[in-house]
Amino acid sequence: MTAGAPEDSDGADLVDRVADGALGWLDARRDRFRLPADIAEPGVDVDRTLKPLGELAELAGLIASVHPRPELRARAEGLFAFAWAQTVDGGVFAELLRAEPHATYPVEIYGVFARAGLRHPDTDALVDALTRPLSWRVPRSDPTRSLGVLNAEDRTRGGASEAWQDDFAADYARTWLGLLPEPWALDRRAAYGLTHDVFHVTDWGRHRDRLPAEAAGYLRLWLPTWLDCWLDERSWDLAGELLAVAACVDVLDAAGSVDIAAAWRRLAAAQDADGGLPETGAEPRPADPAADFLACYHSTLVAAFAATLARTAPVPALVATEAAR
Amino acid sequence: MAGNADALRSVIADAASGVALALRGGGGPDAVSGILHPDNPFAPAAVRVLGADVLAPYALGHPPPTAEAGDAQSVRMALAAYPPGADASEVSVWSYGGLAEAARRFLPADGALPPVPDADMAWTGTDPWQRLAHRVSQLAALAVPGLADGLAANLAPRVDDLSRGFVRAVRRRDWLQAAGVGRWLARLPDVPETLGLDTGLVFVGRLGAADPRVDLHVAAAQRFFGRGR
Repeated sequence: MTAGAPEDSDGADLVDRVADGALGWLDARRDRFRLPADIAEPGVDVDRTLKPLGELAELAGLIASVHPRPELRARAEGLFAFAWAQTVDGGVFAELLRAEPHATYPVEIYGVFARAGLRHPDTDALVDALTRPLSWRVPRSDPTRSLGVLNAEDRTRGGASEAWQDDFAADYARTWLGLLPEPWALDRRAAYGLTHDVFHVTDWGRHRDRLPAEAAGYLRLWLPTWLDCWLDERSWDLAGELLAVAACVDVLDAAGSVDIAAAWRRLAAAQDADGGLPETGAEPRPADPAADFLACYHSTLVAAFAATLARTAPVPALVATEAAR
Repeated sequence: MAGNADALRSVIADAASGVALALRGGGGPDAVSGILHPDNPFAPAAVRVLGADVLAPYALGHPPPTAEAGDAQSVRMALAAYPPGADASEVSVWSYGGLAEAARRFLPADGALPPVPDADMAWTGTDPWQRLAHRVSQLAALAVPGLADGLAANLAPRVDDLSRGFVRAVRRRDWLQAAGVGRWLARLPDVPETLGLDTGLVFVGRLGAADPRVDLHVAAAQRFFGRGR
């Protein structure tokens, strides 16, 4: 049985086609993830360079380690290795940290590779020194971001201490998922925060049993309505993230039938023949390849990620829906 | 024609405001009786639209109206003028049935009142949650203690689905649907606590205040079921 995906073999085929098409699209455009040679110079827009590469590494790394189909794992492994090579085997992070010693993003993205055992000695030494001051914790005003930064600490420095766990618990308690607010108040921004709460807590779907029972029950109850809303708005990127979350909690409705299968069909129908999935269906995809890449890369990556989680075995049902009522 | 539609809308709005006021204790049912006086040519149609809600204030224990009271006459006229036809929708049959049931309960039993029609209930078990919530919101006037008990029993197992419909309606800023579903949820047991029904009803009532029917549903949820305060 698949988690939060259509449960017959056709359903598995459907999500595998989504993942295969998306990975093919990304692979065919891997040059667009290349880092410029002057990446550590002031004025380079890291949101258009390092951020996409970091996202590629995070999600391709996950797909490479858990997808049940070897050919999809191999393709994702290739993308992950490409991303590591782009960082000059991690040396880029040392450059970035020397240029911006108080920035968290180089450590967060380095953490993606460190988690997989890929290390760079200079970067390691800098991370160790730069993440010690109390000031490192100050920019973490947004609790969801804080969870990401704490995970980067764990991935790079290892051995989550008791103090680290206390910090994680305290920050988690201030997130949407920790507070479980009224589901009708979830707007787009909060929804992205919520999906990332789940990704950080479960280490991107690897440890779904780390989701507290109340949170899992809350998500089971309300995901169908959020998916319905954002699919209606053709917000494919956010719908993809919500489908990844759905895979983490194995959403069933009261009758035991899966609303999520219909959501998957709608997302699959939005994916273009070339495998690309635009962030929104609001307007046609740009004709300019660079603009098209920016309009599609994140949602396409998310589709491959969600389709991978949907095909990996769920943890046994931890709780009934009653848990978060 | 447009003038007629505006006039009907205005009577509906005035009557809804009057019912909401009565539910909040700011006046007896007589106020509604005056608005829905049979001299007003739009009164029977307005009664058919508002359904059982025109008699909702009597559920608070006010003495029943006399047979000559304006609302009593208009209800009789509406019941006689708008019986559901053979091809009527389930919602139409149910809302007519709600009005007929309320008339039998709250009006003097001296005139001939039509029977409460048998209405199909299968949809309460089979509708997908989106459609279910939409239909139930159209039957908000039946969310009155003691009215449509069979419907309430059938909806109880769908409380999670109706809650999802409430969320969907709020996110779509469909305040009338949200208030209608919210009023039903106020009546049903085991509403998920994380829905935040009380804060949600207040939220919907405030943002949807321009529509007196939204205000009426929120007032009913508060007065009859103690939710949304």
